[in-house]
Amino acid sequence: MSTELHWGFPVISYLFLAGLGAGALTVSASMFLSSGGTASAKSYFPEARYGALIAPVPVILGTFLLIFELGSFQVGDWFKWIKLFQVINLSPMSIGSWLLTIFIGISLVYAYAFWPRSRMTGDQLDKLRKTVAWIGIPMGIAVAVYTGVLLGAMPSRPFWNTPMLAILFLLSAMSSGVAVIMLVRALSRNGRAESEDTARSGYLLTKSDAMLIGFELLVVFLFIMFAHLTVGDVRHAVSIILFSDRSIELFGVNMAVTFWFWVIVVGLLIPVTIELFYIRSGRRHQKQFSVPRSVEIFVPIAVLVGGFMLRYVVVIAGQVTGSIGI
Amino acid sequence: MKTNVSSTRRDFLHKLGVSAAATAVAGTQPLTAHAAVRKRNIQYAMLIDTRRCTGCHACSVACKAEYDVPLGVNRSWVEYVEKGDYPNVTRNFLPRLCNHCDHPDCVSVCPTGATYKREEDGVVVIDEDVCIGCGYCIQACPYDMRFLNPVTGTAEKCDFCEHLVSKGIQPACVETCIGSARIFGDINDPTSEIAQMIATNPVSVLRPDKGTEPNVYYIAADHSGEHERQRNRYVRVTTHRKQKIRR
Ligand code: SF4
Ligand code: SF4
Ligand code: SF4
Repeated sequence: MSTELHWGFPVISYLFLAGLGAGALTVSASMFLSSGGTASAKSYFPEARYGALIAPVPVILGTFLLIFELGSFQVGDWFKWIKLFQVINLSPMSIGSWLLTIFIGISLVYAYAFWPRSRMTGDQLDKLRKTVAWIGIPMGIAVAVYTGVLLGAMPSRPFWNTPMLAILFLLSAMSSGVAVIMLVRALSRNGRAESEDTARSGYLLTKSDAMLIGFELLVVFLFIMFAHLTVGDVRHAVSIILFSDRSIELFGVNMAVTFWFWVIVVGLLIPVTIELFYIRSGRRHQKQFSVPRSVEIFVPIAVLVGGFMLRYVVVIAGQVTGSIGI
Repeated sequence: MKTNVSSTRRDFLHKLGVSAAATAVAGTQPLTAHAAVRKRNIQYAMLIDTRRCTGCHACSVACKAEYDVPLGVNRSWVEYVEKGDYPNVTRNFLPRLCNHCDHPDCVSVCPTGATYKREEDGVVVIDEDVCIGCGYCIQACPYDMRFLNPVTGTAEKCDFCEHLVSKGIQPACVETCIGSARIFGDINDPTSEIAQMIATNPVSVLRPDKGTEPNVYYIAADHSGEHERQRNRYVRVTTHRKQKIRR
């Protein structure tokens, strides 16, 4: 690659992992609150619990990766990043750092509140779960949106400089959140038969994910369409993910294949097609919603791979493209 | 009643600044309007007359030596812009350095406040002790003028040689330029050479559409880029830095 990249694998992973954690918490809290916000048998307590326990892990991991890529850390100045917290200004990174710190705190409290496996309605954790869920939803959305704003704030990078990116990252984060809950749920089901409760929650998760992916496809379409219908910098930059030949000739990398195959086909089209198939067949035959375990594992993995590849394509494409002319 | 209405209207226009703008356009008070825009007393700037540049890279070398810039990175460089088909060809030189923008995008994204534009002379600087090397400013500069110093782990770029200028010495690249292509000075002082040259020559800045309002001006700069190849025009840009493709 003939272009110097300042933000590489750690930042790509961070954007994905922060979105994943934010999504897991937001989805968990929404499911929990929408089913009454208690641990009663009819609530989505088990799914909410998976989300709650997962959420802090990727966010903390991602934050470590982010610190790892700091120039100061790489030359052995381990704790210089603390300077981030000595000021607060209008830089998206400054606001984001504070947001992330608060979010990590909230996600840890939330995970603590869901720690006991047994559903005990009316215990002292009940109130905590509900309160933190209410705070967690807007915070999760804020973190997911901020990952897009971070990149979108710079006119110097025409590929990134659009509000669409924040929406796309938000939808992708929520979809990854659903996917990771689906995945853990499928893995821990471990051969147990589908009960009425798990069918209900499986249906909800699948339906939500299909809807989120549908919106993602719409946003991707708008992103591409507006870029392609304009002239100048943005059109030039976005052509990198559309056409292989131009991507190689102008920028020395082939981002088009990565984008079309990994992001669009693997990450969006295949999962949404499978999900819609099971949703429809369940409806048509008037039977209980059920998905083979292998599919329940494959679909979320595809969604997560697509989510990661989305960050990969966006971060790389944004850096190797710039304004045209000088 | 009538008077009331008209006076309110004039007040309203005043608040909008419409009347001031109108006077300025009419040409009766251009200097006042100008002064209102420029708050700083001193704004250091550079004018590069590309007609006098021979592409010798003396400025790049002087800059590198002055700061002990590590291998593989540059505070300044000279791009070659070749275009045309034989026999109608031309090669122009475009020396590059930080523009010390009036609206620097690098400053607005810095999360630690390490990068700022100095009030006293409008030079955009980086406080090495505060910079954490997050690279945000490097992404945000529309001119790709910043890099991460691999030794200090902080962002770096041209600082208009403020350690020399504060002692009354010209910046290293200006001092060394064999063709006297570079003129450095206070653009807000109408008697300075740079202000007079800018006032009396057609000048341009790089990527004016970015709205950063650069303070590095060029005479006869070739703004061609390699994207023009798509229009079947031969253009080749040699950046003479690790980053081979201009972005
Ligand atoms: S040229 Fe780039 S680094 Fe220099 S002041 Fe302008 S935006 Fe900042
Ligand atoms: S690299 Fe340093 S100067 Fe640049 S934005 Fe980060 S903290 Fe600020
Ligand atoms: S003014 Fe100084 S730092 Fe800037 S390009 Fe010239 S020599 Fe380098």
